[in-house]
Amino acid sequence: MIAAVLLGAALWASVPEPGASGNDCLPDAASLLSEARSRLAGNGSEPPPEELAAARRLLRSARRLESSPDLDLFAADLAFAANDEEEGGDLLATTADADSTRLSDAELFLVARRAMERRRWTEAAARYRELERRLAAHGESAAWIDPRLREIELDAQADAIAPPSSGPPIEARLALAEGKRLLAAGRLREARESLRTALQLAPSYVEALLALGAVETRSGRPRAAIRAYRDALAAEPDRLEAMTSLANLLWEQPDRAAKVQSLALLDRASTLQPDARPLLRLSAERWAEYGDAAKAQDRLDRFLAKASPKERDETASLREALARLRRPEPTPAPLPAPEEPASAAADRWRKAQVLAARGDPDSQASALALLAEAEALDPTLARAPELAAAIHERRSEWKEAEDALERALRADPSHATTYESLARLLERDPARAAEASRAWARAAEAGSTEALMHRASEEERSGKTSDALVLYRRYLAEAPAGMRSAEAQAAVSRIERGRSARIFGALALAGLAALVGATVAYRTRTGSTFSEWLSREPGRAAEARRIVGRLRHEALKHGGLLLSDGADRLEDADSDARRAAAALLVSRLYGGTESRGLLAEAEGSIASLRELARADGVRLNLAHRDPVFSLLGGGLRALKSAERGLRRIAADTAAPARLVRRTARLLREGARRFQLASGAELDRSIERAAALPVRLDALRALLAHVAAESDREAPPLELVGGPDGDGGLPAVRLSAADWETLWRNLFGNALTAGRLGISAAERRDTITGEARLDIVLFDDAPGMLTREELQNRPLDRGLGVVAEILRRNDGSIDVVAPAAAGFTKGIRVGLPTVERPA
Amino acid sequence: MTVPVVLVVEDGTEYAEAFGRLSGDVGPVELLHATHAAQARAILSTRRVDGVFLDVVFDRTPPEQLAGDRAELERRFAGDRAGALEHLAFHQGFYLLAELAPSIPAGTPVLLAHDFSSEPGRLAALQATVPGLEGVPESETTTQILRRLTRR
Repeated sequence: MIAAVLLGAALWASVPEPGASGNDCLPDAASLLSEARSRLAGNGSEPPPEELAAARRLLRSARRLESSPDLDLFAADLAFAANDEEEGGDLLATTADADSTRLSDAELFLVARRAMERRRWTEAAARYRELERRLAAHGESAAWIDPRLREIELDAQADAIAPPSSGPPIEARLALAEGKRLLAAGRLREARESLRTALQLAPSYVEALLALGAVETRSGRPRAAIRAYRDALAAEPDRLEAMTSLANLLWEQPDRAAKVQSLALLDRASTLQPDARPLLRLSAERWAEYGDAAKAQDRLDRFLAKASPKERDETASLREALARLRRPEPTPAPLPAPEEPASAAADRWRKAQVLAARGDPDSQASALALLAEAEALDPTLARAPELAAAIHERRSEWKEAEDALERALRADPSHATTYESLARLLERDPARAAEASRAWARAAEAGSTEALMHRASEEERSGKTSDALVLYRRYLAEAPAGMRSAEAQAAVSRIERGRSARIFGALALAGLAALVGATVAYRTRTGSTFSEWLSREPGRAAEARRIVGRLRHEALKHGGLLLSDGADRLEDADSDARRAAAALLVSRLYGGTESRGLLAEAEGSIASLRELARADGVRLNLAHRDPVFSLLGGGLRALKSAERGLRRIAADTAAPARLVRRTARLLREGARRFQLASGAELDRSIERAAALPVRLDALRALLAHVAAESDREAPPLELVGGPDGDGGLPAVRLSAADWETLWRNLFGNALTAGRLGISAAERRDTITGEARLDIVLFDDAPGMLTREELQNRPLDRGLGVVAEILRRNDGSIDVVAPAAAGFTKGIRVGLPTVERPA
Repeated sequence: MTVPVVLVVEDGTEYAEAFGRLSGDVGPVELLHATHAAQARAILSTRRVDGVFLDVVFDRTPPEQLAGDRAELERRFAGDRAGALEHLAFHQGFYLLAELAPSIPAGTPVLLAHDFSSEPGRLAALQATVPGLEGVPESETTTQILRRLTRR
């Protein structure tokens, strides 16, 4: 075809236009065209390159003066003759826009293909359809065009889907965790700052946007909350929590347009999750309030299809009210505009979305093939296996769906909805209820408020009202405008009422009962929690950290490892395997020849903490007041209750089934409580108490103070290395008191110096990977100091005290060479630091 | 079908026994066991290993069998030998990881019995040496750990 185009151009150039004059120098389009033709005339089908270039320049000038399909086509021919297919294609496309009948079939095909390559789907489809009409008119076959049009349609629909976002970086996840902690503590301003940090690092981090929405809602800033939820929905259009929270906030707005959007969002949410019946009821109530009786009736009918008699009674007045209302349907909000494709993998994912939505078996198979390619191209694209899982679910391929969800979680462990999907999938199989429960727990950890409600309801159903209360309150803190906030609030009131009633009843029984009640109240309300103790005595943080480390390793990690699987083996395995599992659990939980056992280790660690606190004059009330240790204690009690059963099962092949079930239930209860007792929260308590920001100005002030106490003038303290400014340094794991003692001794030893220098450098331990800060104090005092001298200093004075503080706090001390001229030596102290988000 | 081989390095037998007796539907797995670095290195040099599990605390291992530069640690601890040894025992998994890293084939999943959830930077730093390294969250079961080690 290109050859035909070239030949055409040469022939056109070789035939002079009637009336054209080569000598006409007027700068009009006709004369320029004529001159171009003259230059090409007589050169046959292959004009010399310089003549061709000159002719093209003339034609460009002519086209600037006059717009004409003739000029465009001639210029296109010359561009193709000069192998400039880019410009040739542009010119043909321009001609097609002006008058496509001027193009040959081959040229029209070229323009259509070019539009397709440039992803201009509407244009490509229009050109191919015109070509199809022309070929049909000539009686030629156009069957090849139809598949191409279908391909274009798929590409166009795929392009309308927003590209998937990649998983947030670790720093963003840390900032989110901190933000949620602050949110739970009601420190809204600080929570907002942390969440903004997370969003600066990952602007479309949905969990952070949801948490920011919660912060703004609780701060009474509905517009900011609406913005946050809108951003969350833009990043993840099917995220139910964002949808319902936004719907609730918009409903509260005074303008009618916001209410229309709110109603559309509620409808979309109930379509996405047909099992969420409260949504249907809410939707019915709001459509009724809005005045559209038909829509309200439709939602109400769907709600009533599975309603209990009580629910029917509750909605009776709504049914009657609906009969009196009729209003036209409002227009739904427009869809957001599509974005540009992100990558080849994202491109495939978007096409797969379109195919998956079609729902027929062929489209689903094609979608799965595209998703497999997307995963191979970009294993971090978690949305690809996620979508594959959804397709497998529709095809009832449960194993494949589960595998795909596992892959998605490996690619992006921060995506809460993937855990939710996995949990729902696992719930299909009653034998995997424990796994489903763990998946819900992971979903809650990843930020799913839906998972919080799910777990809260589960706990309440099984009579664990305290745990349920904690979870309901967390839901209210994290999703104050959430779909189920009213339900959560009602549950909190219900449980609190129940508790109050029980306490009142107990007190009313008798004077003795009152005394017992008072004793219980004393036990539950007095004494300190672990966190309160450390806040008061931060110097204990290093010792507490060691004990908590042991507790986490021995109880929480080993507990997690043994208990759930152990319970499953007791119930599922044959008698020999059951006995073996029980024997193993007996030795690990209650001790044997090799170890003291999990219970003794955990109780020993708790006793050590109590002992330490007692030395500070503090009574720890871990069993009743501490949110983490009370759960841990409950877990340990469950394991104690399981001991007799486990020992019998280990010894007897014919242990009664009822005993096996009861023992397995107790083990699962222990596992569940250990899972709720967050070891990470204990670490955070320690860090809150004893993580100290390093500030150069504070050190200078301390130096001046130390010098004044000795009636000396403080030598100048120069910054000779490290970040210029305190903002660049991480917080060290050391109490303020130890920090001050350490520097008092270092400065006290250095007061005879004429000048001092200080440098700071962050590093990671090459073996353990732990974050550390090395600070070196240089001086110019005469006399050397060796490492051996440093080691042999008495522990009660000067550098000996410094070495002892560092030893207790996992720090280090060394003598180093001076880093700058004029100094004689440097003492380097190293301390572990707290990891920071950025 | 080749049965996947998992090497468990710990100072006792707790993890190996738990994997052997408690894990659920993971399929057949061959468990190899080592109690210190030299044993683990010997296994890695003679056997195909598809996954490595490392305990962290080795407080029952004789000090002379602990991996790590004791002289360097004593220097860091300002001559406190007992403190250096205690540190070595309680962080032994990390020292084993550093010592075994050259012997572990690239791409092999390595799980260290430490919860990195509040120290992602630390995990990332260690992954620079052992890309297949992951931590073990506190709530993880034997079945889940074995699935990760065998990639099932």
